[in-house]
Amino acid sequence: MADFQTSTHRAKWIFSPQQLVEKYRAANQRAKQILEKCGATLMEVDVDGSLSYPEPQMTAKDSAEKHSRTKPLTIEEEQCIKVFYENKLQEVCNNFRFPHKIQATALIYFKRFYLQWSVMEHQPKHIMLTCIYAACKIEENHVSAEELGKGISQDHQMILNNEMIVYQSLEFDLIVYAPYRSVEGFINDMEEFFNAGDNQLEMLKTLQETARFEVDKMMLTDAPLLFPPGQLALAALRNSNAFHRVIDFDSYLRGIFSRENSMHTMSELSESLDAIDSWVIVSHSNVCPLTEQMCNSKSTFCIGWEPWVTSVLHGPLCGLDFVCRLENTKVLLRRN
Amino acid sequence: MDHSKKVADRYLKREVLGEGTYGVVYKAIDTHTGQTVAIKKIRLGKRKEGVNFTALREIKLLKELKDPNIVELIDAFPHKGNLHLVFEFMETDLEAVIRDRNIFLSPGDTKSYLQMTLKGLAYCHKKWVLHRDMKPNNLLIGSNGQLKLADFGLARMFGSPDRRFTHQVFARWYRAPELLFGAKQYGPGVDVWAAGCIFAELLLRRPFLQGTSDIDQLGKIFSAFGIPTAPQWPDMVYLPDYVEYQYVLAPPLRSLFPMATDDALDLLSKMFTYDPKTRISVHQALEHRYFSSAPLPSDPDKLPRPAPKRESRVSDFNSQEGPTILSPPRKSRRVMPGRDGFEGNSLQADKVDASFGDFRQTTDDNTGKNESAPMSVDFSIFGLKPPNRPTINSADRSYLKRKLDLEFQ
Repeated sequence: MADFQTSTHRAKWIFSPQQLVEKYRAANQRAKQILEKCGATLMEVDVDGSLSYPEPQMTAKDSAEKHSRTKPLTIEEEQCIKVFYENKLQEVCNNFRFPHKIQATALIYFKRFYLQWSVMEHQPKHIMLTCIYAACKIEENHVSAEELGKGISQDHQMILNNEMIVYQSLEFDLIVYAPYRSVEGFINDMEEFFNAGDNQLEMLKTLQETARFEVDKMMLTDAPLLFPPGQLALAALRNSNAFHRVIDFDSYLRGIFSRENSMHTMSELSESLDAIDSWVIVSHSNVCPLTEQMCNSKSTFCIGWEPWVTSVLHGPLCGLDFVCRLENTKVLLRRN
Repeated sequence: MDHSKKVADRYLKREVLGEGTYGVVYKAIDTHTGQTVAIKKIRLGKRKEGVNFTALREIKLLKELKDPNIVELIDAFPHKGNLHLVFEFMETDLEAVIRDRNIFLSPGDTKSYLQMTLKGLAYCHKKWVLHRDMKPNNLLIGSNGQLKLADFGLARMFGSPDRRFTHQVFARWYRAPELLFGAKQYGPGVDVWAAGCIFAELLLRRPFLQGTSDIDQLGKIFSAFGIPTAPQWPDMVYLPDYVEYQYVLAPPLRSLFPMATDDALDLLSKMFTYDPKTRISVHQALEHRYFSSAPLPSDPDKLPRPAPKRESRVSDFNSQEGPTILSPPRKSRRVMPGRDGFEGNSLQADKVDASFGDFRQTTDDNTGKNESAPMSVDFSIFGLKPPNRPTINSADRSYLKRKLDLEFQ
């Protein structure tokens, strides 16, 4: 594959934690302001990427009433919703048996999109599906929008309507890098480094499999926006090795540094790997109860998520069935 | 909408430069930088499969390829139902240079053009990108004489194991024999073969192997280089569309290129090696002694430039007084007045050749909008006009279009 060193991914799309927080805050703040002003936040998007903000409310009374019913989401609440849809994205890709490269590309597109926008401005369900469609196109594994829509019982025109806004929000930087290929590369390198015999080759295969699951977990966090894919891959392999104890990982890392004449030190790399571990652990331990409920429920997609989600978030955390019955005039819940 | 309007307002439109399958290319000024740019407009609308696949491919790759010998994609944005791709402006292309009878190319000039072509290609291959549409009118030339690869609509990544690609790429005259035999697994050698055809064309000042069909293209290749033998190309018989040709002995390469130096002939023979596995790589080609022996490649800014369009027309008009067989008048292609409603359009008497190669409308190889190739002694002796340059003919293109829409891999 291509060269990460000269990529737009490396040049533009790896952030510090402070930068991420600032981006999330800015998108959330803009959506809140629009909510106060217009009473609603969802934008209309056309196939050519043009956007329309919702029409301002006609009267102050209607505006006040709407405002009290649809409180804006907090940044934390937005994060929960995004994680939910990232899980759904993985599910959809698995159901279609898409290669991991497409799933990873779609996930990164989704994360980058919501660096620019709030979930209150664009329905994450639609954006999630559009990101999958775009990833299939960009990775030259073409699936028609119609086929994709049919597979998940959704109108495919919604995908086409959102396609351009997705590319624009990615600033047309369409080639992205995920750790999966890096994991393979490091495994191949380990085979040579340790002069692996047949038995050790089998163990390295196991190491690779577990590392891939580690990467799957990382892809559901902000780690891909904070660290380059090579470091994510090493962190995954280190965790996998902690479990399987196949190799002396530290001696492998020292070997990399002695060979590569790196400008950086091994302690710097170790710090990065530790930071990745912390980020993944924190992200997963902080999964909010709602996300867990949403992920565990048998429902697939809700239409008109906005009132449903906000009512759940601001009401008592009852079972989803109960909440949905209360909201049945606004929500169409589809079950598997 | 505000954002889109601001971006669109950044560019002041000028005259139309050309028209391709996917839309108009026009000249513009970037008001932020003062730079002249070329903007390719690609229609959006309610297409069945959304944003144009070829445009996305061009964006995807050019966003990652930054090299002095690759055209720069400056910006991309949707506006009024079109996707706009903003490129650095390039004055002309290598096809125009080759065809211009008023231009003399010295050996150093030829060497310079080939070197820049190979440098751009070397960067692509280093980044695991195949261009797959190498031909003179996709090699653009800037005001400083710098040659740059353009039109990445057929390009793609390579290097992943077991990926199969379409063999329906390249305009036919530039298509490698393994593609003509239907190979689906191929690599950078296909670009090297096409670059070899461009090298030959620089030397001959006319297209080299002008096949009228895939079978005829293979026939012309084999007439030039002889039938490949099993030791030369062991895997040939296993290609999907392999057919046996009558035995032909290779004529000496020098008989085809009488003015070329020994180094040039050596490099050509290595670029035209049948077996893609042993064909010279772009990197190796750039290290060939052809480029380090005298004369050295000319400085780009000293390379000859085609005359501006207006002067060319005057020249063409005068040439009608000469012998018809030696200098037939070229048919001008005119832009319909007011057709596009662009600023300055009414001042254009002729349509400029597109700076960015798109598929041109052709019904077959021998009719089309391309102007005739310049006459050469060989053709004038027999009183024959050479066939018009094909891009991808209608049969290829309809197949390719179907592939692009549904199956392209």
